[in-house]
Amino acid sequence: MDTELISKKDLLELMNISYGQLYRWKRKQLIPEEWFIRKSTFTGQETFFPKAQILSRIGKIIAMKDDLSLDEVAGKLSPLLYDLRLRREEIIERNIVSSLVMDRLGNRADGDGTYSFERMLFLFTADKLLQTGEMNLEEGGQLLQTLQEHFSKFEGKGCDLVFIRKMGVSAFALISASGELYFEGKVKLVARLSMTVCLEELKTKLT
Amino acid sequence: MTEQVRPDLVISGMGSASGGDYGKVRIEGTGKVDGDLSCESIQVSGMAAMGGNMTAGRFELQGKLTGVGSLKANTVDIEGHVNLRGRLQGDDISLTGILKLQGDCEAERFAAHGGFAIQGLLNAGTIDIHLHGRGEAAEIGGETIRVRKPERQSWGGLLRRLIPAFNPRLTTGTIEGDDVHLEATTAGIVRGSHVHIGEGCEIRLVEYRTELIVHPDANVAKRVKI
Repeated sequence: MDTELISKKDLLELMNISYGQLYRWKRKQLIPEEWFIRKSTFTGQETFFPKAQILSRIGKIIAMKDDLSLDEVAGKLSPLLYDLRLRREEIIERNIVSSLVMDRLGNRADGDGTYSFERMLFLFTADKLLQTGEMNLEEGGQLLQTLQEHFSKFEGKGCDLVFIRKMGVSAFALISASGELYFEGKVKLVARLSMTVCLEELKTKLT
Repeated sequence: MTEQVRPDLVISGMGSASGGDYGKVRIEGTGKVDGDLSCESIQVSGMAAMGGNMTAGRFELQGKLTGVGSLKANTVDIEGHVNLRGRLQGDDISLTGILKLQGDCEAERFAAHGGFAIQGLLNAGTIDIHLHGRGEAAEIGGETIRVRKPERQSWGGLLRRLIPAFNPRLTTGTIEGDDVHLEATTAGIVRGSHVHIGEGCEIRLVEYRTELIVHPDANVAKRVKI
């Protein structure tokens, strides 16, 4: 699917910012380099941006920049996570999360009825495990809670989701990607998923 | 992790060293460093060849440095000739001489006396260029951009020896900034709020927001007020 693009000129006009600000934010890595898309037009080369993402990112920067220094703002914007927000219907329609999972687990949308990228990632991961039949719905709730509580602590660094079961009791854990893990004999490792891989899969589904 | 005391690296005369973590790095004479280098400061007088990326608090050069990687330092002070295959990043970059880059150049302040060839984007808060040779960049962006062509006689010494005597001129595709003052510049597109096109400029298109001043000896094919 083609993402909608906005030209640099239109962007500056729409958000009422100057070239200087845009370049400063780029230097501070508030705007990822991949978003600067070069295309040739009849006036020569022009720079375009993915519209939905850049608008929400710049909105965030403008909202934060009065209270925080630019370096602090940079810390708040995780480079890994997209600023994309989707509505419930869109998520189902684009086959990101099945409607069953959305019904049972995805009932907590944000105030404006949309889901953040992070939340989509969690649901997507849960959906994946449910589809393979390794996990039941109740455990799905548990999984979401684990991700919600701990995923952000990795601050965008890669981590693995570990799903184990012992004597029918299940448990989830998040460990950093390279961590080795050994269990006692009766523990069954049901699944170990790289969140980075999930993230990439979700990204490709979104774009 | 415990704080380790990082050793200094000194090359006097001729020598080579491997990269790594250092305190101060000083090269006097001819030196070669293999691999990535990370240190508090780099000081070169003479010639240096760098086989990796450099990260330093402070970078100071009198002479010539060639590198296959990038350079990142808070303050970059170049007197002489730098040729890098990567990018150059710093808060304060001051150049007297020649800079050649295959990547981008990013800084809060970029002050140049001399010439440069940047194949990527030159992006700095304040760009102050005194042209004493040919300046080239694919794109230039920033808040304040000032390009001046000084009187020829005012510079002797080092520069005249380093730079062949051709007509100083800046050539670039696009220039985008808030405050743009140009002299002796050839550009495809110039965009900004306050744009001042000075003597000897050849610009295909100027897009400005607030004001545009064009010197009678400048050539602007098309002007658009946004």
